[in-house]
Amino acid sequence: MKNKYIFGGVIAVVFLGMMIFLFTKSNIQYESDFVKVMSSDRTIKATGSWVKEKSYEVNKSERTFAFYMKDATGREMKVIYSGTIPNNFESAQSIVVTGQYKNGNFHAKDILTKCPSKYQDKQNAAANS
Amino acid sequence: MAGSILTTLALALSIFSMVMYFFTYRGAKNTLNIARMSYHAMAMLVIIASAFLMYLIITHQYQYEYVYSYSNDDLPFGFLLSTFWAGQQGSFMLWLFVTALIGVFLQSYTGKRDDLEPRVMMFFTLATTFLLAMVSPLLKNPFAYIWAEPMFLEVAKINPAYFNAPFMQNFMFNDPNSGQNFVKMSKDLYATLQGSGISVNQFIIHGKGLNPLLQNFWMQIHPPILFTGFAMTTVPFSFAMAALLKNDYKDWVRQSFPWILAGSGILGLGIMLGGYWAYGVLGWGGYWAWDPVENASLVPWLISLAAIHTMIVQRKTQSKGGFGKFVKTNLLLSILAYVMVLYSTFLTRSGVLGDASVHSFVDPGAIVYLFLIIFVATFLVLGVGMIIYRWKYLESQIVDEENLLARELALFTATVTLGASALIVAVGTSAPIFKQSVETRFYNEMHVPLAIIIGLLNGFSFLLKWRHSSGEDILKKSKFSLIATGVFALLIILFGKVYDIMMILLSISAAFALFVNAEIAYKIFTGNKKMLGAYISHIGFSLFLLGVVGSAAYSKQFEVDLTKGKPVNVLGHTLEFTGYNPIENNTKYEFNVSIKDLDGGEARVIKPIMFISTFNNSLMREPDILEGFTKDFYVTPLSYEDGSNAENKPQGNAVILMPNEKTSIEGAQLTYTDFIKPDMSVMMGGGNFQMGAKLTVTKNGKTETIEALMKKEAQGVTFVPVELKDADLRVELTKIDPTTKKAELIVGKLSAPVSTTQPQEVLAINASTKPFISLVWIGVAIAVIGFFVSTLRRLKESWA
Repeated sequence: MKNKYIFGGVIAVVFLGMMIFLFTKSNIQYESDFVKVMSSDRTIKATGSWVKEKSYEVNKSERTFAFYMKDATGREMKVIYSGTIPNNFESAQSIVVTGQYKNGNFHAKDILTKCPSKYQDKQNAAANS
Repeated sequence: MAGSILTTLALALSIFSMVMYFFTYRGAKNTLNIARMSYHAMAMLVIIASAFLMYLIITHQYQYEYVYSYSNDDLPFGFLLSTFWAGQQGSFMLWLFVTALIGVFLQSYTGKRDDLEPRVMMFFTLATTFLLAMVSPLLKNPFAYIWAEPMFLEVAKINPAYFNAPFMQNFMFNDPNSGQNFVKMSKDLYATLQGSGISVNQFIIHGKGLNPLLQNFWMQIHPPILFTGFAMTTVPFSFAMAALLKNDYKDWVRQSFPWILAGSGILGLGIMLGGYWAYGVLGWGGYWAWDPVENASLVPWLISLAAIHTMIVQRKTQSKGGFGKFVKTNLLLSILAYVMVLYSTFLTRSGVLGDASVHSFVDPGAIVYLFLIIFVATFLVLGVGMIIYRWKYLESQIVDEENLLARELALFTATVTLGASALIVAVGTSAPIFKQSVETRFYNEMHVPLAIIIGLLNGFSFLLKWRHSSGEDILKKSKFSLIATGVFALLIILFGKVYDIMMILLSISAAFALFVNAEIAYKIFTGNKKMLGAYISHIGFSLFLLGVVGSAAYSKQFEVDLTKGKPVNVLGHTLEFTGYNPIENNTKYEFNVSIKDLDGGEARVIKPIMFISTFNNSLMREPDILEGFTKDFYVTPLSYEDGSNAENKPQGNAVILMPNEKTSIEGAQLTYTDFIKPDMSVMMGGGNFQMGAKLTVTKNGKTETIEALMKKEAQGVTFVPVELKDADLRVELTKIDPTTKKAELIVGKLSAPVSTTQPQEVLAINASTKPFISLVWIGVAIAVIGFFVSTLRRLKESWA
């Protein structure tokens, strides 16, 4: 009876330990302040929006896709993504890029585009009118 | 209005039914029939309301916000069906509809079994009450009118006959960012329209349409099946609560058993259909991305599976008298499965996962957010509270008799392992609430050891007898499986080139389980066939695991440019792009790629699709797959260039000018003197128009005035380049904003060398191989069949 609980307890501790270890190792934080993004050398999920005025470039030979992103305060950074332009890019309301800031550019390995929903449409249009 | 009345009435009836069931449970004599009748009346109203919503969608009643937002006239009937559950309001409605229907069967099932009905149905009606409150006019009402909340509608959706109506000016708005015009639909406009004798349905003549990602067959079947699975978890929850209420835990296991089995089968099927959708149509490249929405449906399923395993033990150990073993575990898991469905709903509907998922989430507003929290909390507190309340009594009923080599312990370990898996997924998925997130390797790396344990248990536990078995006996019974597994291991290492130790272990454990189950299933097949269910499911699961190892760990991918007519060797195949052709009324394009094996054989053609969707003005890509038993060859189109661009693309410098702004470029002085206005009324009506910039160009002392124009015609937008021979300049507009009047131009030398290369059509693709992915689908299909075979058997036993 006692052995059972000790045995079970050890397994539970090992399991939880493993989970916490892996969680911290594979953990990525969200960051909407680009000053912090630029000063960190960790992999980060940076959230912001596409600077439409600056368009984007597709480099066919190196298979990269580059564009400018800005945060809420208007601070901009160049994002270089190794891959092709995502499906919904032009209509994206906000963008989440996962990667690291290195040598003046944000090197993204993943892009998530959030498309405007009807609710956001409303707010935007309301703000404009 | 009619729809809102229906749901509101149903809500009242649901509450009334719940109260009547409660009185019946407390011993009232005449209330049972009233409770039943009000339940049936409620279910009937829900069915009518659902049918009404469907009717509104099919007949394009755009005065309803939901119909406007998720459908349009062009959708064929099948996709209009999908519109029903394309948005939040409708998917809650679907969930409610299925739950209400299940309740009808549950009422009849429980009504025939002693005093079960009032206890079970009062919890079940609590669930329907919450769902009805969700779709009530106060929260996510699918029957809300479009003017209830101010909403901006694109001009193109409005009947052009009313453009010149005098009242329109007050409701037109322009969005300077996009240059688009909107009509503000609000109570004011509604009143104005009413005053002019115009019905809203005459005024709004088009809907926004359905997201192209949702326009396919899988959207028609995946959500209904998934929501049926979700709704089914309400039943084991209600049985567990009913048992706790009565403080009698003997009968509930066998009564609840067929429901939890059928529910898990359906939910599993729904999850996998979603996986196939993501793989085959959406082009995610795989069937599982650990996306929060996928995870959210996985957690309740894992918990249900965990519950099933210890419920078997409880049932089996009841033969010695008493309630049997693991009563608390079973109660807790049955309750948690439903609570996790609700928690998933909270995660995916409240907007907390906003940045974390590919699925688009909508912030539903503070009231809905709060209601979702109350929904989850109510059932969690009620469920866990009842267990705590009964804890002492439950503790006193424990039968303690342990044997290491008994099937009981093996099944309990299975439950713990499945629970651990659910915990991992739940923790990872919840991370975004705390502004954290995990990489998918968190899930993958945690699950490899768990899957190995599950595989071993899956085989081993069937070799064990109940209560006690001898080591010798096990060895004797496992002879075939051990030898077969050994041979299998050699084969995959020698021929499959599987060298990763974890993957070898995982394959071996899955194969071991496969052989054990297959051997027993074969024996049973010649005997009592209704006992087959469990073995079928476990065979399916073993095949699934093998498919996962092959397709996930040994998938290879490669990005490649295919020039038309030039074969390229990719991943053991020769690929050649042979051209494209339009499909579906020229709205989409098929890109034909012929595939040949390197060692010859017949060429086969696959046709990935790309198109620009008018719904969101984005490039959409659909993969195509060369399917085979041993491997799939998967091709996602990335981009296509017809080669003409290289010649016609304006060469030169990009210039952005505001009116009256000057710049010097290519030795010339450029001034943007005037904006050429479009005809506003034509523009709003979607007719042909032109606009542009009037410019003066001064070079070598000579000044010319030119007009750089953008023309909108039926075929689309064209920019007319202006060539100045004397100044050796070429000026072309690339973009112009009618509100800010900002003009973007390309200015280049006319004499600049034009590239002389022949235009080449190039299709860029992402090609990948997925070894044995077929086993994933076959495995799940077999497992699901097993669930239903077991359901039938346990349904018969539920009377005993």
